[in-house]
Amino acid sequence: MAQIRERGSTHVYKVNKISREEIEGMVSLCVYEQPPFCNAACPLKLDTRAFLEAAAAGNFKKALQLYEKIAPFPLVLARGCEAPCEGKCRLGEVGDAVAIRAVEEAVARYGEASRGGSIFRTKKKKTVAVLGSDLFCLFLAGELEKKAYPVTVFCPEPDAESFLRSMAGFLDDGAFRLELRRLKSKDIQFEYNSPVTRESYERIRGGFDVVCASEPVAKSLFPAADCLPELMYWEAENLVMGRGEGVMDAAFGAKKAALTVDRLAQGLDPRNTRGQEGPVETRLYTDLSAAVRLQREPVPPEGYTKEQAVGEAGRCLRCRCEECLKSCAYLRHYKKHPGLLAREIYNNTQIIMGDHQLNKPMNSCSLCGQCTVVCPNGFDMARVCHLARQNMVSTDKMPLAPHEFALMDMLFSNGDAFLCRPQPGFETCRYVFFPGCQASAIAPETVKAAYLDLCRRLEGGVGLMLGCCGAICDWAGRTELEEQTREFLDRELSRLGNPIVIAGCPTCKKELSRHEGLRTVGIWELLLQLGLPEGGRGLDRPAALHDSCGARGDPETQKAIRTLAARLGCELVETPDSGDRSPCCGYGGLAAYANPEVAGEMTASCLERSDAPYISYCMACRDRFARQGHESRHILELVYGTDAGAPPDISEKRRNRLNLKNELLWELWQEETAEMKLEFELKYTEEARQMMDERMILTDDVIAVLEDFRRTGEAILDGEDGLLVARCRVGNATFWVKFTRDGEDAYTVHRAYSHRMQVVKREG
Amino acid sequence: MAVEKNYYTIDPQGKLSCLKCGVPLVKGKAKFMYLDNGFPVELPVCPVCGFVYVPEELALGKVASVERALEDK
Ligand code: SF4
Ligand code: SF4
Ligand code: SF4
Ligand SMILES: [Zn+2]
Repeated sequence: MAQIRERGSTHVYKVNKISREEIEGMVSLCVYEQPPFCNAACPLKLDTRAFLEAAAAGNFKKALQLYEKIAPFPLVLARGCEAPCEGKCRLGEVGDAVAIRAVEEAVARYGEASRGGSIFRTKKKKTVAVLGSDLFCLFLAGELEKKAYPVTVFCPEPDAESFLRSMAGFLDDGAFRLELRRLKSKDIQFEYNSPVTRESYERIRGGFDVVCASEPVAKSLFPAADCLPELMYWEAENLVMGRGEGVMDAAFGAKKAALTVDRLAQGLDPRNTRGQEGPVETRLYTDLSAAVRLQREPVPPEGYTKEQAVGEAGRCLRCRCEECLKSCAYLRHYKKHPGLLAREIYNNTQIIMGDHQLNKPMNSCSLCGQCTVVCPNGFDMARVCHLARQNMVSTDKMPLAPHEFALMDMLFSNGDAFLCRPQPGFETCRYVFFPGCQASAIAPETVKAAYLDLCRRLEGGVGLMLGCCGAICDWAGRTELEEQTREFLDRELSRLGNPIVIAGCPTCKKELSRHEGLRTVGIWELLLQLGLPEGGRGLDRPAALHDSCGARGDPETQKAIRTLAARLGCELVETPDSGDRSPCCGYGGLAAYANPEVAGEMTASCLERSDAPYISYCMACRDRFARQGHESRHILELVYGTDAGAPPDISEKRRNRLNLKNELLWELWQEETAEMKLEFELKYTEEARQMMDERMILTDDVIAVLEDFRRTGEAILDGEDGLLVARCRVGNATFWVKFTRDGEDAYTVHRAYSHRMQVVKREG
Repeated sequence: MAVEKNYYTIDPQGKLSCLKCGVPLVKGKAKFMYLDNGFPVELPVCPVCGFVYVPEELALGKVASVERALEDK
């Protein structure tokens, strides 16, 4: 049998072909990392989502820590803030916006203030003076203290209390006392009774590295004082300045001013490297259907109690786009949103020398396209992974191991098990039935029944083609093989007179309709036209219909299957994520070969949707569900009253294809195939069978080992368990079989394993 | 690639023998080769015919993980 060439070496260094622009364009579609609406609207950039989450969990300590990051005097800010965040809260579109400000106030009031410890922090060398007593000065002094600058405030008031009262008199008694305590605990120096005059200003100038002033103070000194609002800086006088009217205005001004001070203290231009400041636009997506508690907890004049704040914070939707992760088991497995994963996979393709750690994730996506449907922005992870695979193949960096079994299976389907014949009595045909490689492997009886039925009821002749449509090599990213397969199938089809292809599988239909000039139709559509054959019947219990990922974006097929099911008398139960949103069973994209674990999670999340028996219209889905012990039928089994029964193992699948071909060749075309008879008798223990299925070892591989043993007599005898161990290199792997001899020509296989490395004896 | 050389040592303790030659296997020199990379190893070998034995635990353990590592190169 043909082999797939293993890449010759790990030492091949070719440049990739995916353009960074294309990937970046795709990556930018994913809005996962966009800020939530409240946070985007906040000029001070409170991490509102995390803040509300902590508050809702009753963790006021953590909430306050987050809030203190933007507010050195949390109660002052929380009492006076105009809360632009609330205006942008998405809950506001379907109900009341979260009362973020009131929650902040409660957190500031009841949260355990962080112990400063600032006195023991190493201070910066450069000193800063702040002149004046308004909100701007208060916040700026707080910001600078946080940045560890030695800061001194010059104010006319005689003490801290009157200083604070002069700007924060709107606080109630309790809040005032808390903030006064906070002010006193901060490492800020005060020069009380120090109204600033021209003379004292000159002295301060000489004594400090950076000088800041509130606008009234600056104007009293320099009537022409004029500050650049983006920097809070008057360059002519090298003075940082700002106003303290609105609370948010003062806080935002102080934040910008603190950054300017920082730059000036380092001798840098305050214009440079400031990052994004102030409110921003966001493209985040929120699923508003998750909104249930629409009404705001009314805010009493004295503010929320702790309990009320917890309740109100709990209404927050935690805006975060996870639409694809909700649906896709693969993305959940890797715990990464597609924007990030796509970038990592792209980077993986760029590695010329070194480890390609993203190979496995790249090969684990089922290329099913579900994400593109559920994503509000149509993110196409399948394309990213498919491109990456093609690219890895073309640069000779793609390992063969994860896909070899599937590719060999395809070569088998289109080699030993391939069949292409016109209907008996015809030279060329109007139609050809193409059931798909999985159907012949899993439900050969059904394939036969369907073919005989089509021959009987369609005019113009129906040819038969048993083979693989090429989806396997397409999924594996092997474009060259895909091209060869296409040419091969086209050649065979032309021998039949280029008939219309009746596909038995939606993936085959999709794959084959890409061939130039080829007309395809699903067998389900024809069955609707022809009417049901005798004996077709639905299940006697309600069933769940699983849409195949091959039929995504193909509403006609999805609809035809439903009509067919209804005509069969099936009662279908509603399942979440059906139609275009349907998840993949785990077979797609060869996920099951590259990553059985992830594929298993995909199957599980399909089956989670319903306890009812599943009806599907792709044999791979039918097979994977049945393997999980879930009752599972292909719609054609119902149409033809057949039952494919328990799922076959990997060797039985091959045998089924071969037997079907030989049986039909004999019965319909009277062609006899020489039967390959084994010269010895071979039995398998149950353990060996299971092991072989898990380890992807075929009975053919085992036979090769035993034939080799019979020829050479080479084996190891393990004195411990009395088993003989023989080996044989088949293709790219060495297979080892542990067996016993039951007689001259009879053996029982106990264990089997394989490895890909070659082993040779070494001299010296 | 830095793979430790003798990642497998085995003492067959006379339990393994070559069926064809009827002699116990001994610790012998062998080499694994994969994708143009080679590693010298020590494995149970028949001193007469040179049959190199790769035990199941080794094949599924260390050999498999070195294969994976090389495949991702
Ligand atoms: S659905 Fe997924 S891919 Fe689409 S924007 Fe949201 S997180 Fe990103
Ligand atoms: S629901 Fe929550 S996260 Fe979303 S905008 Fe409103 S407060 Fe912010
Ligand atoms: S498995 Fe399907 S839904 Fe998940 S990322 Fe891949 S193509 Fe998208
Ligand atoms: Zn020997």
